Amino acid sequence: MAKAELKTKQKTVIEDKSSLKGTLASVFFVGAFIIVTWVGVYYLFLERF
Amino acid sequence: MANETVAKVKVDPRDAKLSMAHFFVAFSALALGGLMGLLQTLVRSGKWELPWGIDYYQVLTVHGVLLGLVLTTFFIMGFQYAAVSRTTGGHSNAARRLGWIGFWIMLIGTLMAATMILLKEASVLYTFYAPLKAHWIFYLGLTFVVVGSWIDGAAQIMTYAKWRKNNPGQPSPLLSFMAVINTVMWIVATLGVAATVLFQLLPWSLGLVDTVDVLVSRTLFWYFGHPLVYFWLLPAYMCWYAIIPKIIGGKIFSDSLARLSFILFLLFSIPVGFHHQLTEPGIDPAWKFLQVILTFMVVIPSLMTAFSLFATFERYGRSKGATGLFGWFRVLPWNDARFTVPFIGMAAFIPAGAGGIINASNQMDQVVHNTIWITGHFHLTLATSVVLTFFGISYWLIPHLTGRKLTKAMNKLAIIQAWVWFIGMTFMSGAMHFEGLLGGPRRSAFSTYGGAKQAAEWIPYQVAQAVGGSILFLGIILVLIIFVNLAFFAPKGEEEFPVAEAEDNAEKAPMVFENWKLWLGITAALILFAYTIPFIDIIQNAPPGSKGFQTWNKW
Repeated sequence: MAKAELKTKQKTVIEDKSSLKGTLASVFFVGAFIIVTWVGVYYLFLERF
Repeated sequence: MANETVAKVKVDPRDAKLSMAHFFVAFSALALGGLMGLLQTLVRSGKWELPWGIDYYQVLTVHGVLLGLVLTTFFIMGFQYAAVSRTTGGHSNAARRLGWIGFWIMLIGTLMAATMILLKEASVLYTFYAPLKAHWIFYLGLTFVVVGSWIDGAAQIMTYAKWRKNNPGQPSPLLSFMAVINTVMWIVATLGVAATVLFQLLPWSLGLVDTVDVLVSRTLFWYFGHPLVYFWLLPAYMCWYAIIPKIIGGKIFSDSLARLSFILFLLFSIPVGFHHQLTEPGIDPAWKFLQVILTFMVVIPSLMTAFSLFATFERYGRSKGATGLFGWFRVLPWNDARFTVPFIGMAAFIPAGAGGIINASNQMDQVVHNTIWITGHFHLTLATSVVLTFFGISYWLIPHLTGRKLTKAMNKLAIIQAWVWFIGMTFMSGAMHFEGLLGGPRRSAFSTYGGAKQAAEWIPYQVAQAVGGSILFLGIILVLIIFVNLAFFAPKGEEEFPVAEAEDNAEKAPMVFENWKLWLGITAALILFAYTIPFIDIIQNAPPGSKGFQTWNKW
């Protein structure tokens, strides 16, 4: 049994429980949303004034 | 086991009674003000007219005053009063008496203002801009509401001060600290509106003086008007930072971060009123620029909040074994209304905040100023983010205060309610945003503007607003059903008042956060810096004052 386990090629990925990757991605999403809407209305301004 | 002990910590029944008194007024305002909102969207669709000579602007005033001023102030004071009671161990008899005095003064003021609006003596909208002139009883009523809220707030400050005295060297309980920050900000901010009402609008409406300096009154109003929106928002943040983590079974990401963000809100939400007056003549552009910069400082605590909340959710999710970039999102307790309802509010704050940054940018304000985009914006901030969080709070706080339980059926109805609200608001606020970008004005009854081609473009959006408004009204009916159930009919029991703990209990919040001399000093310095010179300029170079106008038909 022990041998069989040693032979397995599957890597066990251990994720750090304290990882905040998702938080980083989420705040980047919020930042991108803010920039896209801001630039969108800025173009309206440039077009009109 | 520890959880059970916490669950038994209750708001003192005598404090509960005062909180509930606030909530009865708040939810009555919601019922009537919400109905007015429905009528407005129907009128603006052009398909329906108000009966019996009722005026659009009268209905608009009732809607704004009841929902923007009465619902919010009563709910916030009731919630904060309960939160301080729960986290400090209860109010003293003296504080409680003060709280009741404040409540009654606010209620009397509300009734005075409401009577004048119903008599068509005050169709001046909730911003009551001069030179629109209302009956003096309307202004006096508003003064009572503000003074009452000061007394109500003083009760919270007293209890906080007593706790500090009894626990020297200890950081105060987070919820109490937050409630006091919001109350202090409210007191500093309302000085502006008190000044314009007492020194300008009351003498003018009483006929003691003939004219009013419009720019001074508007400047004083917006000195108050912008922190007003943070006064609405911070109680929602109290729930997001300090209550939601407990509901999901997680921890507060950082107690100190939460306190710092509240202090930043205190500092930066007041000296920024000019960003509401960017198109107004008579104010030096350099000072507008300075206040716009200060406005953008508020982005910092807002994004700190976003980060902190995402981090709380991710930490909780990973502790439950969630993996991957967004695995934690799926394991959140979506079947718990106490979480899901405020969560929809949080999500709405992403477009709401983005819209706010557009409004505060000088150039872009010229695209959206006085258009219905602005109305769409604050229906996302106040009428979605804040109000859904308030509803979410009510769903456990009302039964906690009345000694009842949120049943499974009511929990389900509450979740349905929030989705109904979300759908209605997507239609209504979305259509308002797009119509605003096409130039559609706010504060306008249905009009085709003499058959103008541009006005014709707006009409489909106005129909969409009426559809959204009708769905939202259904949402209000659902809230009222839940409120009445939780206040009177739900089964007796104990509902928890959730108070979260910080992730790392060893981390003690720095005591500098409780140094009021420091923070009030900086607040005052920023206000004086941002306002003194332009305000002197506004007074010295004032045009002749304006007489009063009443643009509406009286009964």
